[in-house]
Amino acid sequence: MENNEEIGKFARIETMLKMSHLEQYVSRVVNCTSRYNNSNSYSYAPINLVGKYVKYPSYGDFPEAYFLRSYGKWWKKSEAYQSEYRPQDLDRLGAEDYVTLEFESAVVPRDICIYEIYNPGAVIRIWCKVLCPSKRPWVLLWEGAPQECPHKTRKFHPKNQLTIRLEVNQSLLEYHWSVDAVLLGGCQPSTDLQYNMMLKGLVGGCCNELQKRLQTSDVCDIKSCNEDYFLNLPYEVILHIFQYLDLKSLSRCAQVNKRWNQAAADPVLYQDLSLKTYWYLVDCTTLQHFMSKCKTLKKLDLSWCGNDLDGFSEQLKLFLRKGCSTLTHLSLGNCEYIDIELMVEISLCKELVDLRLKNINQWLQPPLDRLTKLVSLDVTSTDIQDSDLIKILKANSNLKHIVIGVYASLSVVWGELLQVLVTDLCENLFFLDQVVETAVTYNKSLVSWSSWKTLSLTADGVRMFRECTNLKELDLGWCLINKDPGDCLEQVAGGCKQLKRLILSGWRGLNDNLVMPAVLSCKELSQLDLLGIKNISADVCEKALLLLPKLRLLDISFCNSIPQEEVEIWRQQYPHITIQRSCQYVVTDYLN
Amino acid sequence: MHSLLVTGRLLSRAIWNGIANISSAPDASVQRKTEPYLVSAVSGFSKERKIQRLIKGQFGDDAWFTAKYKSSDVLGVADGVGGWRAYGIDPGEFSLHLMKTCERLVKLGRFNPTNPSELLAKSYYELLHHKKAILGSSTACVVLLNKENNTLYTANIGDSGFMVVRRGRVIRRSEEQQHYFNTPFQLSLPPPGYQQDVLSDRPDAAITDNFLVEDGDVILVATDGVFDNLPQNLIVNELVKVQGERCANRLQMVANSIAWMARNLSFDETFISPFAESAFANGINTIGGKPDDITVILATVAI
Repeated sequence: MENNEEIGKFARIETMLKMSHLEQYVSRVVNCTSRYNNSNSYSYAPINLVGKYVKYPSYGDFPEAYFLRSYGKWWKKSEAYQSEYRPQDLDRLGAEDYVTLEFESAVVPRDICIYEIYNPGAVIRIWCKVLCPSKRPWVLLWEGAPQECPHKTRKFHPKNQLTIRLEVNQSLLEYHWSVDAVLLGGCQPSTDLQYNMMLKGLVGGCCNELQKRLQTSDVCDIKSCNEDYFLNLPYEVILHIFQYLDLKSLSRCAQVNKRWNQAAADPVLYQDLSLKTYWYLVDCTTLQHFMSKCKTLKKLDLSWCGNDLDGFSEQLKLFLRKGCSTLTHLSLGNCEYIDIELMVEISLCKELVDLRLKNINQWLQPPLDRLTKLVSLDVTSTDIQDSDLIKILKANSNLKHIVIGVYASLSVVWGELLQVLVTDLCENLFFLDQVVETAVTYNKSLVSWSSWKTLSLTADGVRMFRECTNLKELDLGWCLINKDPGDCLEQVAGGCKQLKRLILSGWRGLNDNLVMPAVLSCKELSQLDLLGIKNISADVCEKALLLLPKLRLLDISFCNSIPQEEVEIWRQQYPHITIQRSCQYVVTDYLN
Repeated sequence: MHSLLVTGRLLSRAIWNGIANISSAPDASVQRKTEPYLVSAVSGFSKERKIQRLIKGQFGDDAWFTAKYKSSDVLGVADGVGGWRAYGIDPGEFSLHLMKTCERLVKLGRFNPTNPSELLAKSYYELLHHKKAILGSSTACVVLLNKENNTLYTANIGDSGFMVVRRGRVIRRSEEQQHYFNTPFQLSLPPPGYQQDVLSDRPDAAITDNFLVEDGDVILVATDGVFDNLPQNLIVNELVKVQGERCANRLQMVANSIAWMARNLSFDETFISPFAESAFANGINTIGGKPDDITVILATVAI
């Protein structure tokens, strides 16, 4: 209701000016943090958001709409999942991903319409970028908690300029969220004068919001509150209490009086720093401010921050140079300004254990092999090349988690041993088999490997995983689309008895006989993904449900040989197991 | 009474959907009349006499699309290879998805307006990434009018094809690509394990061509169901009737009559069809038409 009134109040100005109403669909997708497919593919890609809807009002899993990589709570359980560096600063609504959209004409936004065609309910915030240069660029138009919605298409219509950003939290969803199109309605300036007024922020309600700065302003010591019992507490206790506060609260505390200010500035409170939640507030001055406070920085998360800001890259270089001797965890997801010089600075942080560089566009062979203590490495959707990756793997024998997926995501954990490597969506990895060979030779303790949609892998490469007896998570989705898997799965199942998660989406060549060894020998399996495999029959699924006591998630979408009735029976028989099965309810729109 | 109810419900739903979804946002494909463009009509028949399912863009195992984007009008047909039915694979699925993907790529502007074979290739590789396993093989022909230089760019793989007629004369006709008699070049996604046994041609095996078009030129894009059953002179006789035609309805009538003629002749057991002639040349003694799915896209160039 509040929103309504607010909009109404400002709408009057626009009506007075006789601005014409304009509705427009997305003209360009600027960026996104998560995607299902490689960037050169258009199925399930963000580009599907451009233009008018094509599938709405049909409901289901269609390649013509935008899909994200993950869904629900399943990905948070992964060993490779990045734990929050500063839990007290956790976003209230839990934004996980975003997508930034651009519209052709600048308007004063009135309403927005999001055509969700599969598992709706994930949008939690809508931001818009205002044109007036003096203000903070991003303004919040709408926010709301993630919802559980009925399974039907939804024209999401929250009350509400040019660029908007949708933030997404999918944790309540059962399966993938999908959007077909986004429609923005608003008042368009019809004369130059009106356009200039809009640029100056004179029209439209959204510019009036004042965002509080993270910086502490002038300190005023109010003498009247002399009954401050809190001040009688020992300094250590105050510090301990302050440790539980988020950055905003700390900044407010710092403005109470000198003592509080002193306590709130203590470097102990700033060992871990996560500014992802405040990405819209972060600028160069923020970094300068924290540079003085962070004396012993250990974990730093600057994902989503600092894009489109002049000089941010230089400031970050200084920041890293200062903290390089102590920094152990670093996450710089979607930081588009990262260049080779910044990479060199990163490589000088010798103590790094956990490095996450998702969605970085420029990857000019940085000397990351100087790092030797890595345990997790995430290079999802970057342009990392085989030679770089192999060097890193050789240098970091402790790597535990590797993610190299659709977005070159390489999550290598070096700790005791490199444990995680994420290389999802890495398009420049042409010899993944060699990478696997290096990994299994130098990183015996590998725990999690993810190379979603990294197409250069072959059955020979997969076979080598049998050496990694500690392997718990193996995500090889879409790696062997049209290749013959041979006996590789049997070999892997024979070696990796501890496998908990096995993702084999899109391995078209698999059949019952090839999957059975994994079901029979990997008793720890809790997630099994067999999406899109036509030759899988109900037999092997039944065996899996029966023989795997820890199974919780079985994805058999688009396995056309399994009859739907069978799945319904299983769902009743095994209520503790989530059985995923995509649907496609086509509604013919007669007027389109 | 029942059918009346059903129709009424369908109609009211259609109207409601229409009302619910109308918006003033301009459609990207709105035609600007000052530029050259194609007027087109589609017609066709499934080989099966009984009507099975009706899906827009499909006649039996044949599929087609027409799409526009800024400076290009694109038409295409594809003919799914029927042999896959023996493996439990619907041959129409591959061709339909291939064409749908082409249409989508054009509408998103993700194509090169001087290279339709690249469009075919992109569409083919895109099919690999569908969650649904799409298997089978298909011939394909894509024709692209580039409005900036009034040039028609074509790409053809297999025995579907196109024909361009100007003032009663055939100025360009596609060549058939065959491995051997009745086995055309084809794009295929065989089930894994069958790769060695299946004829599969790379998308870059497509024959490409480009030539200037003039106002009034008639373009016919059709699958082998038309070219195998209708002799060239019969086709040309029909095409001449729509020389310079800009009325889509009259174009539709001629497209219908070509498809209808091809269908009738395909079931004529005494007719010496182009297919029978070609068979005879290959030492096979046969006579009559070749029953097949038929797809006709008829277009005229308006400058």
